[in-house]
Amino acid sequence: MKKFGTVILDLKEYLVLILLVVISLILIFANDNSQIRFMRAVAVTSFGTIQSGLSAIPNVFQLEKENKVLRENNIQLSNEIATLKEAKLENIRLGKLLSFKEKSGLDVLSVKIINKSLTQSRNTITLNAGEKDSIFINMPVITDEGLVGRIVTTSQNYSVAQILYNKDMRLTVKVQRSRVDGILTFDGTNNLILQNIQKNADVIPGDLVITSEYSNLFPPGIPVGTVSETGFLDNLFKKVIVNPSVNFQILEEVFVLKYTAGKEREELEKKFKNK
Amino acid sequence: MTLSYAKYAVLIIVLALVQKTFVWLISFSSLNISPDLVIIAVAYIAIKEGKIFGCVTGFLSGLLLDLLSGSFIGLLALSYTIAAFVIGHFQNESDKYLGKYYFLLLVFITSLIGNFVFYSVYFQGTVITFTDIMLKFVLVSSAYTALMSLVYIFFPKKRAIGTA
Repeated sequence: MKKFGTVILDLKEYLVLILLVVISLILIFANDNSQIRFMRAVAVTSFGTIQSGLSAIPNVFQLEKENKVLRENNIQLSNEIATLKEAKLENIRLGKLLSFKEKSGLDVLSVKIINKSLTQSRNTITLNAGEKDSIFINMPVITDEGLVGRIVTTSQNYSVAQILYNKDMRLTVKVQRSRVDGILTFDGTNNLILQNIQKNADVIPGDLVITSEYSNLFPPGIPVGTVSETGFLDNLFKKVIVNPSVNFQILEEVFVLKYTAGKEREELEKKFKNK
Repeated sequence: MTLSYAKYAVLIIVLALVQKTFVWLISFSSLNISPDLVIIAVAYIAIKEGKIFGCVTGFLSGLLLDLLSGSFIGLLALSYTIAAFVIGHFQNESDKYLGKYYFLLLVFITSLIGNFVFYSVYFQGTVITFTDIMLKFVLVSSAYTALMSLVYIFFPKKRAIGTA
């Protein structure tokens, strides 16, 4: 027994090693044990408390480095946000145009506005499509919201359209509800005026104004605007102000309607006038 | 003696805390290289106090780090125990081995053994080859750990833990 004790004492270092190795191995194989999870939770909580206290100590070098990285990230993220916002808005606009194209069944070409003037008396928009894209003079320009204007000049790759806010634009329209006909013009300041409306005509604010079938240039039924104000011009006529359906300030994409008035009709009317 | 044990315990806890809180500041995370501050203390204690005490210290400090790491529990305990046992052989001439450049070498060996055991088990079942484990993880991390032990070498002797 004494000899056994001596052997044990001689080997105690190895026995301790074996014992600790065995415990380690047991721990490795018992990683999912609930007691071990509890021990881990206690250790992490204790150290976490101390670490959170230490984290209050500012590390100047680290802060400087972090600050620089954050500034760079900030610039990058700002750029990304701006791009994404732009893409989102474009997506909304194009989605509207696409759904309009599908719903209307009209032969239309989607084009981008590359220039526009809104502050003059003869306002126009320049489009990034021209004769190459089968765009010709007098074709109507519209959006899903309503009429924009008509093409007045074309080149191979570009075209210019006269918009409603142009003194040269005279448009045959009608009030959708009461079928009262009139001529829409721009007064050169801020207003679209519905002319030739008799004093007793049934036109009230809120009425929708659409293109008329009397027009040689536009297909009938395209929304033009809504009546915003009515009054008396003189003893015979009403003064009717129309608010356009299209918001020209934010206009970026439009459709060119591949529509030209029937030549036969045009020639017949010309012939009759010449008689 | 009890005071020494208490100092060792405090030393290990402080180093574990530093290891878990600040060591990333001096790590090369993209290369998976970080120094192991706790094993430097384990090596010191094993050389100073011998195999048994070294083994127990290695086991307990490894277990502490295991509990904090969220990885395998027991793996660092196993690695530190074996490393401390091997390095405990140098207790006979501890004054010599706790001297300047021997200690650097012994920390390297301790870390090498510890990392070898740890990474050999840790990467079991992965596609990483043995050579890669040795070169990219074991050798480099051990060398970096040994480099960190220079702090001990330049530490004023009178204030060293073991001589307190």
